[in-house]
Amino acid sequence: MVATSTPELVEQFKSVASNVVAVVYEAEGAEDANNYVVKLAQEHNVKRVVKSKSVVATEIGLNKYLEDAGFEVTETDIEEWIAQLAGERPSPKKLEEIAELFSKAIGERLEPDPQVLLKAARRYLRQSIINADMGISGANIAIAETGTLVIINSEGNARLVATLPLIHVAMIGREKLVSSLNDAATILKLLSKNAAGYKMPGYITYISGRSTTADIPGAPMIRAQGPEEVHIVLLDSHKQIKEFNEETYRLP
Amino acid sequence: MTAKMKRRVNKALADKNLQTALPTFMLITKVARQIGMQGIDFSTLRDELRRVKEKSIANLPQLVQQFKAQATKAGAVVYEAKDAQDVNNYILKLAREHNVKQIVKSKSMVTEEIELNKHLKDAGIEVTETDLGEYIVQLAGEKPSHLVGPAIHKTIEQIAELFSKVTGEKLGFDPQKLVEVARRILRQAYLNADMGISGANIAIAETGTLVIVTNEANGCLVTTLPPIHVAVVGYEKLVSSLDDATAILKLLSRNTTGQKQSVYVSYITGPSATTAISEVPLFGVQGPGELHIILVDNGRMQMRESDEFKEALYCIKCGACLNICPVFGSVAGQTYGYIYQGGIGAILTAFLHGMDKAVDPASLCMNCMACTEVCPSHIDIPRMILRLRTKFVEENGLSLTRKIAYHGILSHPKRLNTAISIGSRLQSPFVGKDSMVRRLPYPLNSLTRTISLPALAQHPLRDRLKAFSSPRAGTHPAVAFYAGCVADYAYPEIGDDVMKYLQECGAAPYYPQEQTCCGAPALVTGDEETCIKLAKINIAAIEEMNPDYIVTVCPGCAVMLQQEYPRLLANDPEWSLRAEAISTKVKDFSQLVLELTPSAQKMLSQNLKVTYHDPCYLRRGLGIYHEPRQLLQREGFEIVEMNDADACCGFAGTFVLEYPELSGSILNRKLNNIEATGADIVVTNCIPCVLQLRGGLDKRNSNIKVMHSAELLASYHKSRHINT
Repeated sequence: MVATSTPELVEQFKSVASNVVAVVYEAEGAEDANNYVVKLAQEHNVKRVVKSKSVVATEIGLNKYLEDAGFEVTETDIEEWIAQLAGERPSPKKLEEIAELFSKAIGERLEPDPQVLLKAARRYLRQSIINADMGISGANIAIAETGTLVIINSEGNARLVATLPLIHVAMIGREKLVSSLNDAATILKLLSKNAAGYKMPGYITYISGRSTTADIPGAPMIRAQGPEEVHIVLLDSHKQIKEFNEETYRLP
Repeated sequence: MTAKMKRRVNKALADKNLQTALPTFMLITKVARQIGMQGIDFSTLRDELRRVKEKSIANLPQLVQQFKAQATKAGAVVYEAKDAQDVNNYILKLAREHNVKQIVKSKSMVTEEIELNKHLKDAGIEVTETDLGEYIVQLAGEKPSHLVGPAIHKTIEQIAELFSKVTGEKLGFDPQKLVEVARRILRQAYLNADMGISGANIAIAETGTLVIVTNEANGCLVTTLPPIHVAVVGYEKLVSSLDDATAILKLLSRNTTGQKQSVYVSYITGPSATTAISEVPLFGVQGPGELHIILVDNGRMQMRESDEFKEALYCIKCGACLNICPVFGSVAGQTYGYIYQGGIGAILTAFLHGMDKAVDPASLCMNCMACTEVCPSHIDIPRMILRLRTKFVEENGLSLTRKIAYHGILSHPKRLNTAISIGSRLQSPFVGKDSMVRRLPYPLNSLTRTISLPALAQHPLRDRLKAFSSPRAGTHPAVAFYAGCVADYAYPEIGDDVMKYLQECGAAPYYPQEQTCCGAPALVTGDEETCIKLAKINIAAIEEMNPDYIVTVCPGCAVMLQQEYPRLLANDPEWSLRAEAISTKVKDFSQLVLELTPSAQKMLSQNLKVTYHDPCYLRRGLGIYHEPRQLLQREGFEIVEMNDADACCGFAGTFVLEYPELSGSILNRKLNNIEATGADIVVTNCIPCVLQLRGGLDKRNSNIKVMHSAELLASYHKSRHINT
């Protein structure tokens, strides 16, 4: 049985995460969370933001907040990017529509051919992430005993969003906090099973703190290869989870 | 030990940079691990990990099939490679097919084992290591000096110079700036790369998933940025489930760097895929479009077949054994001569490169057993080292010198006696003040540079105790005194102290005259035959008078009597029972005194400060470390604990003869720790340790006395009696 989020767990998570130099911010509501991210972006002279899927960010309307404040925001999950370009949900699924959206965004005429669109998307999104000053992701699980974020992703963009830009912001609901590595493994097992056996998501990333190295003499160094700052915005959605619910953890 | 090894050892000992870096490294890793162990029950967790590993290696063939099926379903290509050439050929072919010019690599011991980089370079492909430590040694053209920290032997100045050459600009010695220079260089390398090659810490069979652990994020970037990802994975990385993987993750970082988790743990299942553009999954949307997983044998399956050595496959490559190893702490990883370092490395080398190649690195093991206390998979590395040496001797015979020493002299008690007797006369030109031998001619001159030796006694213990060859009739408990050859021939006065003190405790100690060397020197170098011969002689000598206890002052001997004799004679129907009967009676001196005298004799009127050195074979071989301290404290001595009281003194039986300078380096650390306590006396319960510590302190002209517990207690007992 998985231990679900409690005030003690939140305190433990905050304490352990702080020890590995992640900044944990407990947001009181949507506006507080949005302001925190915008203020952070302003302080760091951020121009371009990339995002991987985050239910929390969608719920609080983070993208619009950032765009209104003058930041360029690019969704990097293909489906999310398509929805962003189309300005509507559910996102368009027809090849011709997607080709038109991509062509407009990229500025070149693209054939409605899956491989062509795939290559174009890869180039464009990859470049966005490389050029970005801040990466915002969701997280599926937060582990209190180790201060870890668990991010589940099928394409791989979430991993890049969380590691390439100098600042990583993770948005997660408090109810996703669990106690231990074993709990996280239990959840992953359940999430990766379907009727036909195991279907593990392509990319699962455990992040505990910020990128560091001890390979050069001196105290552990930062800005080694990954982010210089990791911020974890914990939102209280006031959801009372009495028992483990797979659906809770399915989406980041 | 070859001349080449000797040169490497001496080179490492003479390397000023290395000798500056290593003590800091040892301290940092010690503290880090202490932090890592906080809040967990290491004992329980490593039992769990051991079970996971045993199960996984036992079920390896099924796991391989399951992994292949699952990973293939997720879109990966899985290739089973037999040996190094197989792996290299596969990768080269793949690189040619895809016109690969530049490759980025994250850390993979397997790829170093097969020398992949060299083959790629020969084929004109540029390879950049992305683990910062590996990048540094790559630039330097050297081999890694530690499993987890490849560049610990490099100074900041050396690193700045290496980076300066790459960038073409003169770089300063600011570590943070150098890290950022590396960041820039490596970031560019990732983006230019046509292929990323990684290892994997774990491979999960039931989901076809690879798990890669890094602190820097290079594991994430190497496996996600380039269009092709090749993962090279030894078979032993396979486990069944996510839970099994978690058992490894719960200990890996804590045991190595003291972190609760490394910053990045990447789980990869199949190449990057999306169904957002078409219903059919498209590969390569954000990460690699192709994922090739090469499972590598290269001797692992053969290791798995061997009951004696398969536990080497339980290793999770945490490096904790290296961090605690006194030898590693003196000479670091390049000295071992092969890609895998330390005692565990010697075992792996035997199967990867051949047994004859492994004997050299195996000779660096002192059998101090420090590694067994920190290994998260409970691997008995010293035991495997002994088996390796024994196997080598079985197949190749003993060297001539050893044959003469063991078969010619040691296994014949009378000849040993005669040899010692001759030695005690030949030594006279070399015996100086306080009966110490401070300079011997070649080939023993390097030994006496390190330690001053005690002169061989004119009257060994066995001669002095001829009148005590059996217990006085009717007295109990009868205690057979098994003194061991160093006490017998070099410190008989300590033997006298033991006899007297035990008599004061109300026991009836006696000295079986037929006893001889316990055989440990032979056993430790692989000669079981000599050891078995001596075992029978000693068992017969001891059991004759049916003692209640057997008291020892050398834990090496005690371990022989208690553990090794029963093991060696297990298949001999007559002797195995006799060995068992002896083994249960073996006691360390302090242990026995506490048992015989429940209350203190309280000899001292005021507290005297001493420090106590834990002999390896007493603490780790017999599990005794409380009793000697308890006895001393009970009798009024105040113990000031030294740092690393349980670190080996460096004597290690024949080790001090084979590697005197290395032994001296290890001894140096111990003596520094002793001096730092401010105590006037260092007490220990091991005669060879007494020899080593006294010998080293004599070289320092130190006033610190080294005493066996028996000596110390007897001297104060005597003085008390004189005063009253």
